[in-house]
Amino acid sequence: MPDWQELVRRQLAGLALEPSERAEVIEELAAHLDDTFEDLRRRGFTEEDAAQRCLSEVEDWHVLRRRIQIARRKENTMSNRVTQLWLPALLTFALAMGFLALIQLFGPRPHIVPSNGTLRMTPVATVYIPWLLSLPLVGALGALLSHRAGGARRAVFFSIVFPVVPYLVFFLMLLPFALTFEKHAGRDIILSGFLVGLAGWVLLPGVALLAGGLPAQLFLSRRVSSRSVAAH
Amino acid sequence: MIATGIKRGTAELAVLSVLADGPLHGYEMARRIEQQTRGALRFTLASLYPLLYRIEKRGWVRGAWETSPAGRRRRCYRLTPQGKKKLSPIRKEWAELFRALHRLTETSHA
Repeated sequence: MPDWQELVRRQLAGLALEPSERAEVIEELAAHLDDTFEDLRRRGFTEEDAAQRCLSEVEDWHVLRRRIQIARRKENTMSNRVTQLWLPALLTFALAMGFLALIQLFGPRPHIVPSNGTLRMTPVATVYIPWLLSLPLVGALGALLSHRAGGARRAVFFSIVFPVVPYLVFFLMLLPFALTFEKHAGRDIILSGFLVGLAGWVLLPGVALLAGGLPAQLFLSRRVSSRSVAAH
Repeated sequence: MIATGIKRGTAELAVLSVLADGPLHGYEMARRIEQQTRGALRFTLASLYPLLYRIEKRGWVRGAWETSPAGRRRRCYRLTPQGKKKLSPIRKEWAELFRALHRLTETSHA
């Protein structure tokens, strides 16, 4: 007979409850699987078929973990939000900014993108290639932390892209000014500069973060569902 | 939204109804519901426990660990006075809804 306690403990790793409460939930769910298994065996199922049927009781352990957390910890929604969203998001932000500072201090010279395609104009976007190359790792870490804390897809996504959110907000706040000055200046400088800056500081880093974060999220979700089969 | 609400409502009614006959642990509850509805309603582990924890939080049921003569520990749930009070109006509401739906489907077939 499979070790249901061990299986449930493994699948619900990261269940954000008090240790005693978590142990209680694990014991209860394991007992349910134990009863299901024994009942199926009594009804003539082979050990293998019975175990397989028990495993099919839970389609997605990640979803179950989240639903249990919500059901048992309504009063702690805030702490869930902190562990699933804000903590991973702020950590990815701090790491991305730390890498950027290090690369600015010790790294190679950045690639400078002018606003109108010639270097005669004021450069508006400096692209730090080593920084961009480090961002997939940061995105993957954000996905891992949020996923392990039981974060929903939206929370995981937000944790991945959070380092570019302040830049996005900055550029969005800048847009009305850019449009106003563009009208007065009558030249295609400010708006194009705005767009180059947006691409250099939001789009490119965002894509780099997602390039690491999304595969990590996909891998972690698949691992959760394949683990149950492996345990069997 | 409506579909989720209806599903949740029927699930709560099913659990409270079987517990009205006496305390049960999770697996017994799932089996009892399946048998009494002749397989029309089936609770899996994933659908049952979040629901049980939710209604326990509301104070409608109370779970307590009990050890069987064979030495197995199981968490048995029983209706609380609050849950008993809740069950009666829920039953009435659902009976009314089913009657209304029945009338509606009969009319549309006529």
